[in-house]
Formats: sequence, structure tokens, C-alpha cells
Amino acid sequence: MSLDASRIRITAGQKLIIDGVDCSVPAGSVSALVGPNGAGKSTLLRTLAAVHRPDAGTVSFDGADLFATPRRERARIVAFVEQDTSTDTAMSVRAVVGLGRLPHEGVWSGGSTAAVDAALETTGTAAFADREFATLSGGERQRVLLARALAQEPSLLLLDEPTNHLDIGAQLTALTLLRTLSAGGMTVLAALHDLGLAATYAEHVIVLSAGKVVAAGPTAQTLTPELLRAVYGVQATVLVNPVTGGRVLAFSPLD
Amino acid sequence: MRSRPVLVGAALGAALLLSIVVAVTIGPANITFGEVWGSIGSHLGLGNSPLPVLRDGIVWELRLPRVLTAAAVGAGLAIAGAVMQAITRNPLADPYLLGLSSGASLGAVSVVLLGASVVLPLAAFLGAMVALLLTLLLASSLGAITPTRTVLAGLAVSSLASAITSLIIFWTATGDSYREILGWLLGSLAGARWPAVAIAVVALVVAGIPIMLTGRVLDAFAFGDVSAAALGINVPATRWGLLAATALLTGAMVSVSGSIGFVGLILPHGVRLLVGPAHRALLPLSALVGAIFLLWADTAARSLFDPRELPVGIVTAIIGAPLFAFLLGRRRSAT
Repeated sequence: MSLDASRIRITAGQKLIIDGVDCSVPAGSVSALVGPNGAGKSTLLRTLAAVHRPDAGTVSFDGADLFATPRRERARIVAFVEQDTSTDTAMSVRAVVGLGRLPHEGVWSGGSTAAVDAALETTGTAAFADREFATLSGGERQRVLLARALAQEPSLLLLDEPTNHLDIGAQLTALTLLRTLSAGGMTVLAALHDLGLAATYAEHVIVLSAGKVVAAGPTAQTLTPELLRAVYGVQATVLVNPVTGGRVLAFSPLD
Repeated sequence: MRSRPVLVGAALGAALLLSIVVAVTIGPANITFGEVWGSIGSHLGLGNSPLPVLRDGIVWELRLPRVLTAAAVGAGLAIAGAVMQAITRNPLADPYLLGLSSGASLGAVSVVLLGASVVLPLAAFLGAMVALLLTLLLASSLGAITPTRTVLAGLAVSSLASAITSLIIFWTATGDSYREILGWLLGSLAGARWPAVAIAVVALVVAGIPIMLTGRVLDAFAFGDVSAAALGINVPATRWGLLAATALLTGAMVSVSGSIGFVGLILPHGVRLLVGPAHRALLPLSALVGAIFLLWADTAARSLFDPRELPVGIVTAIIGAPLFAFLLGRRRSAT
């Protein structure tokens, strides 16, 4: 079940934000959407989540056009974790995660608590399930919003900068969790500004620059020093992590 | 967890019934508790009224419809406030502050003068809807829609609508135009008879009950439009549908009571403190608290300064305005 977008064009007012983008995310993988600030990552992600209709182009998952799928049904397939959600609600963590059951609920029937409990457990937020959401730290909120997305029981999970607000330990935990979810069959796409994390954790990358896809494919073959130099204007060196044996990117300014 | 709202609801329901039973026996005519309920019983087909015709009329034609109208209007305004706060993500939203009540008054006064009082609630609804659109348009023209900007825009719209309402009444009034203007601008239930009860109760059933069924959807609005859309909600349709329902509810209530302030603003906040922010409980409980509150506010308005009567809006403002100031202060410390 792969995510495929073709010829996506998005404008805001007169300004062209996304210009004829084709991209796909392989089924059951963790993919990263990377690119410099202002490249249009968040805009593209909102369209891939079928939350924002593009001016042109199609988004399909598992062969079905997401914008033609009824809203509630779509929300049982795709979950989207936004960046920097602001709220002044006094809802408890459990109630916030419970919102993820909305697409599964009828007007009269309550939501399943099993899926909520599972999501709290998976994200390590069960310990503070009864606390008020507004009292949590930025990192804790991020995990709760991920739990809400998981309570939707989606097949496709899209995340906008899921490691923002997280300290390094929590960043690694969050990305490891995404790997676990994808191993279970979920298709995951995360916008990441940290290229190091993308290089380490993503199997595929899509590189966006000025509203266009400039490269896409398996991470090791795509995030090359030549590409990073062209897109970000930095000198990148590929090293080997002596502990994990994985690839590490080191950066220095161009001289 | 789940049973607390039910418990609170049962207690409030009992308190509302008790309030109605007691409030109809309060008034300047010195009619005893037994006589009042004997009279009401006789109209419901139970025995004969213990009162002579004139005094019987005070109970059945004046007091009971007035008490019931107060309860229904209070419930409607509280629901309208709770919904507007959720859907605009603005803790200061309320039909009075955002200009809907003044717009509804203007709509109602315009058709009263044309003598077409059957369409009174409809005209009030149109007035409320136009005022709401103007407020939102004005607020968005100032930049990003913030709670404070929306309230300021509402103030502008509401001042204009009130001025035009007053002008129309002055221009055309045959009787006591000052009293009539006060009634529309400050809110008064002095004229509430059985048709008013019918309008307010029908509006509660037609607009209030469908609104209450959207409780879960309103919860999802707490995290913004993108989040709500990602949870499968049709955001524009839901928002405009609910705002229209709110305008309908406000219009109907204003057409029988004039614009009464602060009921929609304050009471939902109080109920949130009591049972939390989940709208499935918040909406019906706000309705009950609103009913009890306005019923007693009106009882105070008609009996405290006997034989003079206050417009009930004065009572709700004296209680509500300090709480509004408190909410403003709490917002400042939060941001």
C-alpha cells in the first residue's frame, strides 16, 4: 500500500508554493521529506494528508484517490500529526487521544477504549494519561498527538517535524517508534529538517527545494554530497558510525 | 469519570424544576404557593382555580409564561455561547459580544414596525446572521482573527445595530419609545406571554437539540481546522452550519427577550470548571445552568425593586461584566 502523488500544484494567493510535484512513498517504509526552510514541506504534507486540496494533481493511497474517499473513511486510513499545534483546551491526555476514535464513532456510540489504551501504551504516554494536555512539556505533547494519530488505526501516517521540541534521547525514541510501526506494515512519511536523523532512520527520502522535487529514492543513494551541496549550499562528508556501522553525515561550510 | 456529568445533570435538572415551581409563586400580587399551583393545576385540567379571574390571570397569563420563557431563553443563549466559543476557538465568544444579539434586535424591530410579527423570529435570525458575518469580515480584515480583534469588531457592529434600532423606534414609536428601546437593547422579559414560550421552546428543539448532538465534533475543533479535517470532519460545512444554527437560536431568543448579555459568555466557562471541557456534557449542562440563571435573574429583575421593574439585562450585566473582566485578565496571564 504505497502513497503516490502526481503533478501536485499548490498556490497561495498568486504565489506558487508547490510546482508539479510527483512523489511516492513505498508501502511499509519510513520515508523522510527533507528540504531547506520554505521549500514547501508542510504545504505538500497537508495535501498528501488530503487535508488541503491542491490546485491540480492527484493523491492516491493503495490505488484509491484520497480526495475522492469520503472524509470519515479517509480518516480511518490516513492520520496526520501537525507541527506546533496550539490549543487552550483543558482536555485530559486520554480525552485528546480519544479524539482519534472520532472517525470510527457513530453519533450515539462511544469510542473503543482498547485502541486508545494501546496508543497510550505504544507512545509511552499512559503514565500521564489523566493529566491535563495543556500542562505537558512540548515533547510530551508531541507524543500525545502521535498517540491520537495512532488511535485512528491508520495505514498511512504523515508527520510534520515530529522531532521538534524533543531532546536527543526522545528524538531517537520517536524515530525508532516510527521504524517499529512501519515494520508492522504502516506506511510512514515524516518531514524532517534534521538531515542526520533522516540519513540514519529513513529508508527513502524525498528532497524538496523551492516547491520542486529535486531528488527522491533510497536514502544512501539520494542524500549524496553533490546533492546536499547543490540544495543546501554546504559541504557534506559521509562517515561511518563506529558503533552502529550506519551512515553519518558531517557538514562544513563551503569555502 | 463518566458518571459525574450525569450526576451533575440530574442535580441541575431537579434544581431547574424546583426553580420553576418556586419562581412562579414570587411576585408582588401576594398570592400564596398553594393558590398559585391550584390555579396552574386548574388550567392543566385538575380541579378549579382557587383564585378570582383577575388574579388567576396573573399566574397563568403573566407569571408562568414569563418564567418558562426566561428558562428557555437562558438555555438557548448558554448553548449559543458554548458553541461559538468552540467553533471560533475564542473563549470570549458570545452572541452578545459578537453583535448577533444587537443584529437580531434590529431585524426584529424592523419587522415589528411593518406589523409582520409572525416572521419576527425569522427577521431576528437574518439580523443575527448578517451581524455575525459583518463581525467576522471586519475581524479578518484586521489581520489574523484573534479573540480580542473579534470582540472589538463585534463591538463596532453591535454599536451600529443598536443605534439603528434606537433610531427606528424613535422615528416611528407611538407610545413610550424610551421604554421600548431599553427593552430591546438591555433585554426584558416583561412582555413574555404564551407565544413567546412557544417561539423559545421551538427554537430550542429545532436548533438546540441538533447542536447538542455535535458535541464530539466540537471537541475536535480545540486543535484547529487542520486537526479537525484530519479527523474526518468537514470543517467549513460544520463551522457554517453550526454558526447558522447559533444565529437561529439567538435570533429566536432575542425576538422574545431583546438582547440579554453575558449569559452565553459566562455560564459555559462555569460549567467547564465543574465537569471539564468535553462538549457532549458541556452543551446540555450549560443549557440547564443558563435556564436556572436567567430564571432567577428575571425573578430578581421583576421583584427586587417592586413596584418598579428592571430590564433583566441589567441584572445579567451586573453579574456578568466583572466575570468578563476576570476572563480577560486570565487570558492575559495565559499568553
